[in-house]
Amino acid sequence: MSDKEIIIASLRRVERRIRTNRLFTELSFGALLFLALPLLLKLWDLVQPMRGVTVSIIAGIWVLLFAGYVAWRVIQKGTLEQAASSADQQAGLRDELKTAFWFINNPRSSDWVDAQIRRAARGAESMDVNVLYPRTLPRTSYIAGAMVLVFVLLNFVPLPWNHNWLALQAAPAFSLTDKELDLLKQTEELLKKAAQLNQTELTEKLEEIVEQLQEGKIDAQQAAQMLDDIQNQLEEGNLDASSINEGLEEMAQDLAQSDQLEPTAGAMQNRELNLAADELRKLAEKLGMNTPEASKEMQKSLQQAAENTRPGLEELAKMLKEAAENLKNDKQQQAQESLEGAAQQLESLQARIDSQQLKNMASQQIQSLKESLQQRQQQGQMSAKGEKQTGGKGQQAPKGEKPDMDAKGAQPGEAGSEGEPSDEAGQQGQPGAMMPGGAEGTGLMPGGQGGTDAPKEGDATSLDVKLQQEKVEGMQDGGEKPENIEETSKMERSRLDYRNVKSDLSPAQKDLLNQDRIPWEYRPLIKSYFEAIRPTAKKQDK
Amino acid sequence: MSSAIDRQVTTFQEQFKRVKDEVSKVIVGYGEIIDGVIMSLLASGHVLLEGVPGLGKTKLVSTLSDVMHLKFSRIQFTPDLMPADITGTNIVQEDAMGKKSLQFQQGPIFSNIVLADEVNRATPKTQSALLEAMEEHSVTVGKTTHKLDSPFFVLATQNPLEMEGTYPLPEAQLDRFILKLKVDYPTIDSLHTILNRTTKVLEPKVDRVLGQGEVLDMRKTVRAVPIARPVQDYAIRIMMATHPRPPYAPAATMKYVRYGSSPRGAQALVIGGKIRALLNNRLHVSCEDIRALAYGALRHRVLLSFEGEAERVDTDTIIKAILEHTPEPS
Repeated sequence: MSDKEIIIASLRRVERRIRTNRLFTELSFGALLFLALPLLLKLWDLVQPMRGVTVSIIAGIWVLLFAGYVAWRVIQKGTLEQAASSADQQAGLRDELKTAFWFINNPRSSDWVDAQIRRAARGAESMDVNVLYPRTLPRTSYIAGAMVLVFVLLNFVPLPWNHNWLALQAAPAFSLTDKELDLLKQTEELLKKAAQLNQTELTEKLEEIVEQLQEGKIDAQQAAQMLDDIQNQLEEGNLDASSINEGLEEMAQDLAQSDQLEPTAGAMQNRELNLAADELRKLAEKLGMNTPEASKEMQKSLQQAAENTRPGLEELAKMLKEAAENLKNDKQQQAQESLEGAAQQLESLQARIDSQQLKNMASQQIQSLKESLQQRQQQGQMSAKGEKQTGGKGQQAPKGEKPDMDAKGAQPGEAGSEGEPSDEAGQQGQPGAMMPGGAEGTGLMPGGQGGTDAPKEGDATSLDVKLQQEKVEGMQDGGEKPENIEETSKMERSRLDYRNVKSDLSPAQKDLLNQDRIPWEYRPLIKSYFEAIRPTAKKQDK
Repeated sequence: MSSAIDRQVTTFQEQFKRVKDEVSKVIVGYGEIIDGVIMSLLASGHVLLEGVPGLGKTKLVSTLSDVMHLKFSRIQFTPDLMPADITGTNIVQEDAMGKKSLQFQQGPIFSNIVLADEVNRATPKTQSALLEAMEEHSVTVGKTTHKLDSPFFVLATQNPLEMEGTYPLPEAQLDRFILKLKVDYPTIDSLHTILNRTTKVLEPKVDRVLGQGEVLDMRKTVRAVPIARPVQDYAIRIMMATHPRPPYAPAATMKYVRYGSSPRGAQALVIGGKIRALLNNRLHVSCEDIRALAYGALRHRVLLSFEGEAERVDTDTIIKAILEHTPEPS
């Protein structure tokens, strides 16, 4: 290997090592800078959860930029001249390699030049690249590693609103509050229980609405309308609660006239219709053991009860009537069948009432959910309007994602939705609740939506409130405050007329002060003026 | 061939060291000044020593001449000194036949080493006579030009304090000195050594260690040292930075300098760099050599502007700024 080759090979080694170390440093530093973005975004995500689309776009741009930066730095190569200069500096060769490399590229026939190249080659051979340019991890790489670790840990922070980006999770377009989720869960359970009403599709429909809302396909207003439709479907075919209650009461009174039917009547009065059905079945089994008087008495009670037909009780009345007729005709077998039929009607009625209760509860839950969504929609619009007016840059984010946001329900002018929806008593006549649609009580528990006379919005407006609204932003207390005469006078900004300034002077003193006095220095002048214009004696004579 | 060059370099270093050691027997504490003086001799240049009286400038030069087998003369510059007192003059000679003819009588300048003591005390006319000889290595008297012996080496001294009644050297003449060395006060340790050597019965004596031929050989060796283009470029950029013109000039030059160095400045940097490289056992000039010589080679070539004069700016400050501002070739 010639001296020139030795020098060039050494310089290439040096250049490679310099490039490697440079890449380590630059990429670590670049990673440090680039990692700051996802880390900050993740921290921001903990405060204001971001949607999957947003995260995906940012992550995509981030990856592209970082890849571009890496590629840009990797393709940057140093020259051998730079390597020679660096090696001279590191090894203290005082420009020996640089000079030799220049003479290699610009050869000239000189013994001195050859000798110089030979010396430089010896120096290059003895040069240890590992000593001159040790491989060390830059400090920034540790910081970058720590940032990666923090980023990973932030993704696994056990917070309900935290989304693990590493598991491809992100905040939905519209996230429900804990309260709304509870409402939803309860509603679904209620609807499932109401499966016998063949309205199981409502559960699926409800789930579909929530899914669409969370994906951002519909907004809160549309979701509220769709929930309204479900509510309407639930209310379709509702039992006439008052009519049934009254009918059952009357039937129970009629049946109570018979000793045998008294337990059944008692159960009906207590609205325990399944128990009443059981009592009827027991009575049917013992029908043969009754005395003729007792049978007659029973037949009479059943006949009277059957006459009290009310909407929803027609079938029961019909069966009771058949039983009464069969007893009258001593058709014991048919009478037992009729009583069995009446018992089944009671059980059916009980089932329908139970279902109705479930439907009502589900309807109330949906109503609360709907109100919550509408309230948040209004808040969103108000905040967006406010930002627009103030020229604010803030985005209209789904505020409801914060679990404590629904605690603002009692603000004036907003629809009050305080109180647990499952608390039926609490729902009755609740003031301030927005009850669109059903003003009438429905089902067996009327009044759940019956607060028709309640004020629609907020507290009554008072003068204080008016003043509060007109308060200029920045003022510490509302409205006009009395002017500090002394201060404003000092600043020459008082709007008070000087005559109205309160003083301790008496009226006489004030009068004296208000007199237009002639200054002393002007008196001779005025006197001379009047003397000048005074008519002379000649004029007086004329 | 390489070993021959190595031998040449070794010889150069040894001879340089011998001269320096001998001079150092008498002159204490001025290692850099001695180096600069010898370097100027080997660079075929002349040197201007500036320092207050009593610091040993004249002693240094006379010791140097004692160390070398060279013809030495000393000229004390005074206001009444005439050019002919330096160069020599034609005098009337009468031969045996009684015939009279003009014959040239050589002046003190016809030596190898000339000490021009307090050069700024002579009139410009007289100064010019010396400075012409410095540049041309010849003296013209009447219609005859007389060549000076080689090596011809002028060491001029001047006192920076007593400026009254002096004639400061003009810039064009200052430019002919390859180096301007500032002789400062010696250190306490050096003064102890000086006193110990000069206040005893036996004063130190020096030997002649270098002859005329050896000096000329050393000069040839110096000029054989190669310099790479980037390093030469660095020297040129430093020289160019003394001119108050972009793109090389730093702010200090732009503000305080009226005129910068001539190409002689770059020549001084390179030739001095070669000597320094040899002394450091290198066969190439490095940027460090250029930097080390910059002050001596450029300080007398930088002409301050009115602003610089008014603010009493030292030219060394400007050269320092130039060195900081001029990047090394990568």
